[in-house]
Amino acid sequence: MQIEIDEISKEFGTTAALTPVSLSIPSGALVALLGPSGSGKTTLLRILGGLEFPTAGRVLFDGADATALTVQERRAGFVFQSYALFAHMTVFENIAYGLRARPRATRPPAAEIARRVTKLLDLIQLPDIGARYPNQLSGGQRQRVALARALAIEPRMLLLDEPFGALDARVRKDLRQGLRDIHDTTGLTTIFVTHDQDEAMELADLVVVMSMGRIEQVGRPQDIRARPASAFVRDFISA
Amino acid sequence: MSDISPARAFRPAATEAPWARITLTLAVVAILAVLLFAPLVTVFYEALREGVGASLATLANPESQSAIWLTLFVAAFAVPLNAVFGVAAAWLITKYSFRGKAVLITLIDIPFSVSPVVAGLCIVLTFGANSWVGSWLVAQGLPVVFAVPGIVMASMFVTFPFVARELIPVMVEQGRAAEEAALTLGASGWRVFFTVTLPNIRWALLYGVLLCNARAMGEFGAVAVVSGKIRGLTATMPITIEMLYNEYSSVAAFTLAAVLALLALVTLALKSLLEWRYADQLAATHRH
Amino acid sequence: MRQPFVHKSPIPGLGLSAGITLSMLSLMVLLPIAGLLVQGFSAGIPAFLAAVNTPRTWAALYLSFRLSLVAALFNLVFGVVLAWVLVRYRFPFRKVLNAAVDLPFALPTAVAGIALTALYAPNGAFGQIAKDWGFKIAYTHWGILIALIFVGLPFVTRTVQPVIEEIAREVEEASATLGATRAYTLRRVIWPMLAPAALTGFALSLARAVGEYGSVIFIAGNIPLKTEIAPLLIVIKLEEYNEPGAAAIGIAMLVMSFGMLFIINAAQVFSRKRMAYV
Repeated sequence: MQIEIDEISKEFGTTAALTPVSLSIPSGALVALLGPSGSGKTTLLRILGGLEFPTAGRVLFDGADATALTVQERRAGFVFQSYALFAHMTVFENIAYGLRARPRATRPPAAEIARRVTKLLDLIQLPDIGARYPNQLSGGQRQRVALARALAIEPRMLLLDEPFGALDARVRKDLRQGLRDIHDTTGLTTIFVTHDQDEAMELADLVVVMSMGRIEQVGRPQDIRARPASAFVRDFISA
Repeated sequence: MSDISPARAFRPAATEAPWARITLTLAVVAILAVLLFAPLVTVFYEALREGVGASLATLANPESQSAIWLTLFVAAFAVPLNAVFGVAAAWLITKYSFRGKAVLITLIDIPFSVSPVVAGLCIVLTFGANSWVGSWLVAQGLPVVFAVPGIVMASMFVTFPFVARELIPVMVEQGRAAEEAALTLGASGWRVFFTVTLPNIRWALLYGVLLCNARAMGEFGAVAVVSGKIRGLTATMPITIEMLYNEYSSVAAFTLAAVLALLALVTLALKSLLEWRYADQLAATHRH
Repeated sequence: MRQPFVHKSPIPGLGLSAGITLSMLSLMVLLPIAGLLVQGFSAGIPAFLAAVNTPRTWAALYLSFRLSLVAALFNLVFGVVLAWVLVRYRFPFRKVLNAAVDLPFALPTAVAGIALTALYAPNGAFGQIAKDWGFKIAYTHWGILIALIFVGLPFVTRTVQPVIEEIAREVEEASATLGATRAYTLRRVIWPMLAPAALTGFALSLARAVGEYGSVIFIAGNIPLKTEIAPLLIVIKLEEYNEPGAAAIGIAMLVMSFGMLFIINAAQVFSRKRMAYV
C-alpha cells in the first residue's frame, strides 16, 4: 500500500512534536524513520497507526484520505516498543486476538483461526511455543510473537516502534534479517522507527532522517551516506 | 586486642544494637496487644459470655435478622455502584489527558476527609423532608432520609473513593500500550476493556471492592444520622448493635458485633492473601 | 496556542467514563455538600456565626480537636516505630502483626466502640486495674483518647512503611563509614527521609480522629461541655430538629477537614520535591 503524509503537524500543549512534514512512501517499501529521541519519529508512526491524531494535515492510503479512520479501521499491524503482549494470554491467544475480535460476519471459524496461527508461528520460526505465556519467552521470542500477532490481522501495512530497542546486540542482528525476510515474503509496506543509524542503513530501502519534528533528509542509505543534506545528518550518521 | 568479641565485630553498620531491637520489638508487640488485640478478644468474650447457644439464639431474634438482611441489602447496592464508579473514574483519569485532572482526583477524595456524621448530615439536609429536593422526592413516594435509599447513599458517600483509589495507581503503572495494541488489532472498546484491561486490574479491583464492602457493612456514623433508627426497617447491623447495647442486651449486641468482627477478620485475611499472592498487580503501597 | 481541554485519544469510552464519573460524583458528593452549605448559610452569616458561637459548640470543637491532636501525635511516634520494626526486624508472627495493623480500618467503629467501653469501663478488664490505682478511663478524656488512638493507628505506619522499604542500605552504611553513631544516622539521615510520609500519615490520622463518631460515643460519657465531641453535637442538634444549628457545626468541621486535606496535599508535594533527586 502506498502511503502519503501530507503536511502533518502535531502539537502537545505548546510544544510542537511535528512541524508540518510531508512524505511519500511507495508501496512495498521498507522504510526507517531515523532520529534521536524527541525528533518526532514515534509520533509520526503513531499518527500513521491511528494512535495519535495530527493537529493539522492529512494521511492518504493508496490515494484515499485516511485521516479520519479509527485505529481499528486502519488495519495497521503495529509492533510496540516493549511489545505490549497480553500477559494473561498464551502466545496462541495473543496471535489469535485480532481474528477473534472481528465481528461475527467476518470472523474466521475456530479451525481456520488455529490454522492461521500455526502458520504464523511457523513463519516466525517458533512453531512450538503456542501454549506458553509471554513471560516464559526470551526478549527475541517476544518480539517475533508481537510481529506474528500484528501480521495475523492481514494488515495493510506494518508499523514497528523501535522493534529491536529492547534486545541485546547479538539477537538484534538475527532479528534484523528476520524482519527483512518477513517483509520480502509478505510484500507489506513496512515502516520502523529507530535511533540506531546502523540498523536503519543496513535494513531499510528508504531512510527518513528526522530531527526536532522535521524531516532532515529522505533517501536510499547509500545516497544519504554519500551526500548528507545537512550538518545534522552528517554528524548523526557518523556517530 | 583480644577484647573485641565476635558479636561486637559482626554487628552490621546499618542496624540498631541487639538490646535496642529487642526492646523496640517487645514494646511494639505489647502496645499492639493492648490497643488492638484486647478489644478484639473482648468482642468475642462478651458475645460468648453466656455460652455459644445463648449468643446464637440472639442472632435468631427478628431484630437481629432484619438488621443482617438490611446490611446485606445495602451493601448489595452500594458496593457494585461504587465499583462501577471506581472503574469509570480510573479509566477516565488514566486513559486520557485533560485539564483539571488533579482537581477531579481531589474531589473524588473528599469523602475520606469528611466526618461520617457530616456526610450523613449533608444527605439529611439535601434530601430530607425540609429541603426542596427531599419534599419533591417524598411527594413522588420515594423518601430518601429515614429510609433505605438514604442508607445506601450514606454508605456510598463514605466508601466513594475506595475502588478508584486502588485502581488509579495500578492503571497508571500498566500504561496504555496493551489497550492500544488491542485497538490496532481491531478490537472494540468494550472488547478491549473485558479482554485486556479487566484481566490486568482484577485483583486490584477485588482489593478495592473488599475494603469498600467492609466499610459499607460496618458504617455507623453516617448511617446513624440518615437512618432514623426505625426498628426492623432502617436499623442496619451497626445501628442495631448500638440500640441493643443501650438497652443493656449485652450478649445480643456483642454477638452481632462478633459477626461484624468476623467479617473484618475475613477481610483482613483476604487482603493479606491478595497482597502476598498478587503483589505485582496491586498498587505499589500494598507491597510489603 | 491554548492547550485543548481534552486531548483527542484513540481509546474509546471517554464520554461514557466521564459521564459516569461526573454524574455520580455530583449526585453522591458535590450535591450533598452543596446542600449542607446552602442550609448552613440560608439564614445569613450572622445566624451561622451565632449557631457556631455557643459555649457548648466551642467546647465540643475544642475537645475534638485537642484530643485528636494528642492521639495523632501518639500515632505519629508509635506509627513510625511500628513501621520500622515491621520492615527491618525479623521475629515470629511478624506477618500476622503486619496484617493486624489494619484492624482499625476493617473493624466497624460501633464494634470498636462497645469493645473499648467493655474493656475500660470500671468493671471491665482494664478498667478494673485502673480503678484499683484510683484512676478512671471510660467516660473521661482518657477513654476518648484511647478510642481516637485506636481508629488512627494504621495511618502513619501505612504511609511510612513503603518509604522505609525504599531506603537503600548503602545510605546508612555510608553514614556509618563517615563515623556517625547509629543514633546520629537515624536522626540526621533516616528521619528526614521519612518525615514527609510521616506527616502525611499524621494529617490523615488527625482528620480521621476529628470526625470520628462510632468508636467514641460509647466510651465518652457524652457530658455537655466536658466529654461531648463535635460530631455527637451534630447528631444531638438533628434530634432536636435544629437543622441550621447542625449545619453550622457541620460546616465548621468541613472547613477543618478541608484545611487538613490541604495540608496533606502540601505535604505530598513537598515530599515529592524533596525526594525527586533520589
